[in-house]
Amino acid sequence: MRNKIIEMRGIVKSYYLGTPNELEILHGIDLDVYEGEFLSIVGASGSGKSTLMNILGALDRPTKGHYYLDHLPMENVRDDGLSQIRNKKIGFVFQTFNLIPRSTALKNVALPMLYGGIPRSERSRRAAELLQLVEMSGRSHHRPNELSGGQKQRVAIARAMANDPAIILADEPTGALDTHTGRLVMDIFHRLHQEQGKTIILITHNVELAEETERTIRLRDGSIVDNRMNGHYQLEGCYESV
Amino acid sequence: MNLFENIRLALEGLRANKMRALLTMLGIIIGIASVMAISTLGSAMTGSVTKTMDKIGGKNIMVSLSPKNYDTQSTLQEEDLITQEELDAFRNTYADQIKAISFSTGMGSGQLNSGFIHKDVSITGASPDYGLVNNVNLVQGRFISDRDMDGTRNVIIIDTTLRNNLVGVDGDVIGKEIQVDTKSTNETYTVIGVYEKMVIDNPLFYMGDDTRIECFIPITTAKSLNPDTTNQNGYENFTIMATTNTDSAAFAQTTKEYFIKGLGSLSDFTIQAESLEAIASEATGMLATLSLGISVIAGISLLVGGIGVMNIMLVSVTERTKEIGIRKALGARNSAIRSQFIIEAIIICLIGGIIGVGLGSALGIMGSTLMKFPTSPPFLPMIIALCFSMAIGVFFGFYPANKAAKLDPIDALRYE
Ligand SMILES: Nc1ncnc2c1ncn2[C@@H]1O[C@H](COP(=O)(O)OP(=O)(O)OP(=O)(O)O)[C@@H](O)[C@H]1O
Ligand SMILES: [Mg+2]
Repeated sequence: MRNKIIEMRGIVKSYYLGTPNELEILHGIDLDVYEGEFLSIVGASGSGKSTLMNILGALDRPTKGHYYLDHLPMENVRDDGLSQIRNKKIGFVFQTFNLIPRSTALKNVALPMLYGGIPRSERSRRAAELLQLVEMSGRSHHRPNELSGGQKQRVAIARAMANDPAIILADEPTGALDTHTGRLVMDIFHRLHQEQGKTIILITHNVELAEETERTIRLRDGSIVDNRMNGHYQLEGCYESV
Repeated sequence: MNLFENIRLALEGLRANKMRALLTMLGIIIGIASVMAISTLGSAMTGSVTKTMDKIGGKNIMVSLSPKNYDTQSTLQEEDLITQEELDAFRNTYADQIKAISFSTGMGSGQLNSGFIHKDVSITGASPDYGLVNNVNLVQGRFISDRDMDGTRNVIIIDTTLRNNLVGVDGDVIGKEIQVDTKSTNETYTVIGVYEKMVIDNPLFYMGDDTRIECFIPITTAKSLNPDTTNQNGYENFTIMATTNTDSAAFAQTTKEYFIKGLGSLSDFTIQAESLEAIASEATGMLATLSLGISVIAGISLLVGGIGVMNIMLVSVTERTKEIGIRKALGARNSAIRSQFIIEAIIICLIGGIIGVGLGSALGIMGSTLMKFPTSPPFLPMIIALCFSMAIGVFFGFYPANKAAKLDPIDALRYE
């Protein structure tokens, strides 16, 4: 049996816009993700994909429900602990790249290691290595505004890999890129998945890209309405539906 | 979190906004600069006052009889005067605190004639210790001796300007006879010494251009030539030179009390005794008040500067909300964000402080050079100023930094 790295039970997220107006965005999500899986989440705009991802990424806490990340009950973890989990176990890739504008590509990639307390020389060494992995070595001393969108996203992926996290969470990583560059970025995810066995959760609007992943979850109005294996993965049938 | 990394980060941020950073620092710069300038000037002033005091006799106590009441006409009586016997007794009592006592009496101005040379001079009758007490710098010959005093001799000490006029720079004037006419006398004197006039190049002690030529004759001679003065058998005023390790201000008080006892309560006169040191310390006391005033202004400027830093840090936190969100998503703890912004505030203030110290020191050096007493800025205020500016950074940086640290990561990330 593979390691269940994510286990969500009855996750509810509500926003309170003034006392009577409680706005429930996620209505009791149950989700299991196994170590080494490549999962995609699809759904209409406003269906709660990003909200779910923020909870998965320990950026946000659910209003109700239980979330176990690598068997650790997250409701018992304090804020500093969440920071540490984000630092060590999770790598974020955002649609808008979210690189620090004043820092070079190398510094951006090294940043999570800085917060992880890794010594300076080791940081630079590993950051250079990661930039090489995404074929961005030539641009390591460029600032984000000197890079194209695809290049920025490659730097962002290298940064997500900095502390060798177990899980990579990517929220529409190809959303701001053309098909060709989107393809390049997708290929990097496939490589990380196949060569390094990373657990990857990809949010996308692109159905074709979603079908490339092992399993797709569909959200509608804050509930999971579909959860199935894709294409040839279906045949393997090694994952039970939740 | 990594201190060095934070400092580098802060410097990068400042480099991106040079003008804004400079304007923010202005209050700190002005505050620190004025503190530095005033403390440099203060130490220059104290130094130059001390130096000048040493030159003109800082240990001197000037004792004089003065009317108790200036409104009523009071004339000095024979019995009011301080006699030689009283003085000798006083000197024996306080032998270890008195180095010398000198007397002098002005004889007014007169005209010196020697051959075809005529010069206006002023004549002072002086006792032998006058030279020591008033730092008369003899370059040739000798000063008045006890024998000149006892013999009421017609001897005179002239200054170098007069010597140059009479015989030239290299000429020998000792033993030369010169004639001096005053209002009531015309006497011939033998030159026994030449002194160099003291130059006080301290603007604080500037008393006008003194082009007077002063000549000294024995005080006994002066008195015998001027028989109508009442003070034939005593002294109306004299100067005490205290020993180096005597507190001259305290000794002035002692002296005053000593001689007031001898005066008798019926006298219209009282004793005044003032030490130069006390006068000087009064002057430095005024300076202390002045620097306190400037410090208050500097303090206000630092306060305003600190608020400016707080303001700019708040702006910076808002501008960088997204960056803060990114950092938090990447695993920065609240404490790491807090220290990043506090260190940035400290760096702004410290740079302001360093510029202020530089500027203030330059002003201080310039000012003290104008005072003819170039002084290097004192070290301790410099360190205090720098520490204080860092403290301002911590104090005014804390609120914005804390605000940044407490931002919700998702709200921050979503901020546009
Ligand atoms: N802070 C908030 N307060 C109130 N409502 C919020 C807040 N954040 C998100 N929402 C609401 O939650 C819902 C889900 O938002 P979410 O960002 O998760 O959607 P999404 O599926 O990621 O959409 P998209 O594909 O457009 O990114 C939306 O209706 C949004 O208005
Ligand atoms: Mg979204």
